[in-house]
Amino acid sequence: MDLAFTPEEQKFREDIRAWVKDNLPADISHKVHNALRLSRDDMQRWGKILGKKGWLGHGWPTQFGGPGWNAVQKHLFEEECALAGAPRVVPFGPVMVAPVIMAFGSPEQQQRFLPGIASGEVWWSQGYSEPGSGSDLASLKTRAERRGDKYIVNGQKAWTTLGQYGEWIFCLVRTSSEGKPQTGISFLLIDMKSPGVTVRPVRLLDGECEVNEVFFDNVEVPAENLIGEENKGWTYAKHLLSHERTNIADVNRAKRELERLKRIAKTEGVWDDTRFRDEIAKLDVEVVALEMLVLRVLSAEKTGKNSLDIAGLLKIRGSEIQQRYSELMMLAAGPYSLPLIQEAMEAGWQGDAAAGALGGFPGGVVANAPLASTYFNMRKTTIYGGSNEVQRTIVSQVVLG
Amino acid sequence: MDFDFSDDQEQLRDAVRKWVDKGYDFERRRKTVTAGGFDRSAYNELAELGLAGLYISEDDGGMGMGPVEGMVVMEELGRGIVLEPLTQTLIAGGVLSGYAGDALKAQWLPKIASGEALVVLAYQERKARYQLDICEAKATQSSTGWSLSAMKNLVPAGDQAEAFIVPATVDGKIALFLVERNAAGVATRGYGTQDGARAADLQLMNAPASLITADGLVALEHAIDIGIAAACAEAVGVMDKTVAITAEYMNTRKQFGVAISSFQALRHRMADVKMQLELARSMSFYASLKLNAPADERRRAVARAKYQLGTSMRFVGQQAVQLHGGIGVTDEYIVSHYFRKLTQLEMTFGDTLHHLGAVSARMQDTAGVFA
Repeated sequence: MDLAFTPEEQKFREDIRAWVKDNLPADISHKVHNALRLSRDDMQRWGKILGKKGWLGHGWPTQFGGPGWNAVQKHLFEEECALAGAPRVVPFGPVMVAPVIMAFGSPEQQQRFLPGIASGEVWWSQGYSEPGSGSDLASLKTRAERRGDKYIVNGQKAWTTLGQYGEWIFCLVRTSSEGKPQTGISFLLIDMKSPGVTVRPVRLLDGECEVNEVFFDNVEVPAENLIGEENKGWTYAKHLLSHERTNIADVNRAKRELERLKRIAKTEGVWDDTRFRDEIAKLDVEVVALEMLVLRVLSAEKTGKNSLDIAGLLKIRGSEIQQRYSELMMLAAGPYSLPLIQEAMEAGWQGDAAAGALGGFPGGVVANAPLASTYFNMRKTTIYGGSNEVQRTIVSQVVLG
Repeated sequence: MDFDFSDDQEQLRDAVRKWVDKGYDFERRRKTVTAGGFDRSAYNELAELGLAGLYISEDDGGMGMGPVEGMVVMEELGRGIVLEPLTQTLIAGGVLSGYAGDALKAQWLPKIASGEALVVLAYQERKARYQLDICEAKATQSSTGWSLSAMKNLVPAGDQAEAFIVPATVDGKIALFLVERNAAGVATRGYGTQDGARAADLQLMNAPASLITADGLVALEHAIDIGIAAACAEAVGVMDKTVAITAEYMNTRKQFGVAISSFQALRHRMADVKMQLELARSMSFYASLKLNAPADERRRAVARAKYQLGTSMRFVGQQAVQLHGGIGVTDEYIVSHYFRKLTQLEMTFGDTLHHLGAVSARMQDTAGVFA
């Protein structure tokens, strides 16, 4: 038992750090460090930089062009990227659909789809949730009917994150209503430029359009876009969910944001307020405890010696911590987090010059502009990816059977 | 970075677990509680397993092991809510090995390792609460040596121990001394504690003492940190067993015609309990793995750990009683004994608020395990 990383792991970390320092565009890390609005171009630009290096699919095995890193190396890479202020990799292509294509797709599908994902050229979206299917995903109703060498898809997907940018979407669709709901689901790849696909952005409580509704109206999809076998899609989707469990805890981002919280608390004068600083101290311990939990899971994955029953805890704790730091950042600024000025979410905005002597950010500093928005945005974390209540039900099975 | 235990560590765990399961059942424990809270023969059995010499070098008759072995042992003793204060022995072994002169080491370490001498830390003063730098005990030096005047409270097994490690001030600066219980000017008054174990008030009136180190605060802080890491590990064992007992009860107890483990409100509570247990286990690892770090890093790490453990202990203990219902508040049923142990551990070596304050005061611009 040893907390320290091996010399090889340290060296690996230093190499990653140096590379990220040289390759992460400063305008992007500035936005990430200040929670400013990231454009499609910002996200894709970083994705392509990683792609060129062969690291966009940093969890991929070498046979598909990935670096073949183990669990600890992946963690170190993610940590260095997060601490440097890199945007999170848009996960739908490289993290979510690619492993399914690798495991269950045909060689033709692998050759057709994986290169565009690895390079960051093609933007993928996820079509899982529906208006009537949230935590109970298997109840989904979007239908795909086989006609000759095509599927005809009708229905609606919901909460499609960044779907307004999507070029392809991987969908769970119903191909049979026989038997249990899980057994009639198939995994289909759909070109979003197909006639009959309509994307409608949904404005959320933070004023941003992060998610979309996607409608399918008699959309024709070539049957060759079916992954694996018909009606086996649920199994493939579960395979996807069993991957990257530590990723969802997002402890690396939490470490970065804890530091930002401290900066905000100092700027806003609450750092020396014991009552407030103690709340940050609690979060400090919570972040360390989460990191230890993550490291325990990674260590078990690396050595394969222990099977741990704690992975289900990571999503619950990670999401709670994300909400907590965003909450404390907002509370640190207090009333000065309340002005809602859309322009202030853009990098470089210095205040409203037209207002003359009353210019600037009302009463505070521009850096406060995103604080309430981030707080509102983070409410999603305990809802998505299987709500925390669903996660608790899963954890309770570990303890109580 | 590796969280696997070595084969030797697993064997050590098995040996202690076997002793707890076979040699320290609930009945034996109950008799000890009734008889005053300390059983010398049980302590000797721990020493026969080599545990009293865990932090003492092989040259001095010990096993020369480290914090991870200490953690493994304390987890297992926690599982059995063992009353005999091995934590104190780990502290004594660690502090004397690290800070005492050769003569004192040669005199005491072999006896501690063999179990012949139980040496405990006597530091708690009425006005100090959890602060280590507040000390009214005074030491004076004469031609015949050192003598101490002090009033210390809550000394574990204080009227049973052979000697005490006592902080006292010399010209306003804390030094650390060793005092034998049979020496002149030593008086103890023993009493039971809430966890069923035993403690004593210790009065020293010009009692003869041996100087361990003049750099007493540094050594005392180290002693407390050894104690915190041990208490964290012990708490993990206590909680682990508490959760197992509660789960078993929930799967057996029927109300409204079904096992109460079928109710979602209770299942989700149990998920929260599991969360607190695993956060606690993670931070117990953290404390033990940082125990040999430089003092500043070590102090911050154990404060973080004890804050987490305190939070977890209170939640797990309270919820275990609640999930049991009425039987949970009886003395006859085992779970209330685990709850009392957890409560006492929270207030040992600094409670949750105290350590939150320590984390807050030490908070710098870096976070995370490797900061």
